[in-house]
Amino acid sequence: MRRAGAPLSGRDGGGDTMAATFFGEVVKAPCRAGTEDQEEEEEGRRETAEDREVRRHLARKREVRLFRRQTKTSLEVSLLEKYPCSKFIIAIGNNAVAFLSSFVMNSGVWEEVGCAKLWNEWCRTTDKTHLSPAEAFCVFYHLKSSPSVLLCQCSCYVAEDQQYQWLEKVFGSCARKNMQVTLLTCRHVTDYKTSESISSLHSPFLKALKTQNFKEPPCCSLLEQPNIVHDLPAAVLSYCQVWKIPAVLYLCYTDVMKLDLITVEAFKPILSSRSLKGLVKNIPQSTEILKKLLTTNEIQSNIYT
Amino acid sequence: MASRYDRAITVFSPDGHLFQVEYAQEAVKKGSTAVGIRGTDIVVLGVEKKSVAKLQDERTVRKICALDDHVCMAFAGLTADARVVINRARVECQSYKLTVEDPVTVEYITRFIATLKQKYTQSNGRRPFGISALIVGFDDDGIPRLYQTDPSGTYHAWKANAIGRSAKTVREFLEKNYTDDAIANDSEAIKLAIRALLEVVQSGGKNIELAIIRRNQPLKMFSAREIELQVTEIEKEKEEAEKKKSKKTT
Repeated sequence: MRRAGAPLSGRDGGGDTMAATFFGEVVKAPCRAGTEDQEEEEEGRRETAEDREVRRHLARKREVRLFRRQTKTSLEVSLLEKYPCSKFIIAIGNNAVAFLSSFVMNSGVWEEVGCAKLWNEWCRTTDKTHLSPAEAFCVFYHLKSSPSVLLCQCSCYVAEDQQYQWLEKVFGSCARKNMQVTLLTCRHVTDYKTSESISSLHSPFLKALKTQNFKEPPCCSLLEQPNIVHDLPAAVLSYCQVWKIPAVLYLCYTDVMKLDLITVEAFKPILSSRSLKGLVKNIPQSTEILKKLLTTNEIQSNIYT
Repeated sequence: MASRYDRAITVFSPDGHLFQVEYAQEAVKKGSTAVGIRGTDIVVLGVEKKSVAKLQDERTVRKICALDDHVCMAFAGLTADARVVINRARVECQSYKLTVEDPVTVEYITRFIATLKQKYTQSNGRRPFGISALIVGFDDDGIPRLYQTDPSGTYHAWKANAIGRSAKTVREFLEKNYTDDAIANDSEAIKLAIRALLEVVQSGGKNIELAIIRRNQPLKMFSAREIELQVTEIEKEKEEAEKKKSKKTT
């Protein structure tokens, strides 16, 4: 193993200069003299017809499609245009989805109104056309007794380039009036920025982040600065902020990212919020349903004991 | 900053962190909870049993292991790392006995395990062991001992401690409930261990495994039925305490 601090000779002829840091890692140092062979590099960068075809094929593969599973027809307009709602509750991630399944979806009859199909590198299946409900999914429901309440269970990962498409297909591109959005998701506690040591934090715990138009008091403390959120929840919150829709994200920081009872129960304070209050009826039964869900979905892993 | 200093174990970060050791402590939190209690004449180890797959032989999924006749340990974290550490500790126990003709003291074997773990935080190209261990036993002098080690190679003696997932919750419970009365006799100490685990275990008594060592007696593993009996007694006591409380308020 190379000793730290040993000088490193540049391996490439020109252009790239490599430098070794004190710790023995090699970093690429930018060369301000400019490169001599600029013309050759440009030629390499020029796109061929083949490149364009590959890019088109990839874009088609990564397209987000919204359709109705029962009729197998795609939605021509955005989901909210077809099903306008006053309450939109979105659960992203398996723990948030389990929470809504046990506490909200069992207290009422929910009808599926749409399903989003998408493929990216995180998907376990290669076949885009036959995504089974047991795998990662993104399904939309509305309450039969009160169709203005819309619910989304999203347990698949929506990549950065797909988030805009997802928003277009779901929210559309015009302002929605009289709508409130509630998002639920989980992140690992190591994402939580704090000056305290992580071992002193009592995880799981809930934090909230809301848009300017959300006037209700949230059910837990607000996420302190630097209040950074990622992925689809961030995309939805940004959209809501821009279109002045009141929205709140309830973020559960946990140290167990797989489906876990204690993490799911950490979402319980949200049950007292205005958007969920009317929808939850039987809490003890919900806890039983949750336990059953956990035992059926437990993936046997022997790595940790 | 962390991303530049967590590649190789032998590297300190500018503010003095060994990130690999800290990440190993995160791996420990992925293991199920284990609790250890030091009583007056007994030491108790309780663990949250992981649910076993249908076709899996339950006997091979053990969190509590004997290191010698008078010492046993429970671990939380990476199963494979635990197996390696336990094997080394068991060999050391026998080697020591053959050399000096005395059984190891609990402190000695703990120090051995901790030194082994520390070596892996200072070696080239190796990663630390991703386990924390609770080691209990009685020395020849008849005094009960409980020690805890962690991936950094530190070890401390404790009166009661917990490791693994939700260890913090269990430790707070123990801090509140570990009193002289709670360990006054053996059965109270056993009940304290079970009560501590019930705080975090997901489905009650059937997911708990318990082991005790009494002075001059070998390790005893509780059967599922014995644990159920204890859990029923605890629930009865809880109900009676609540009834008394509600009587007092009315």
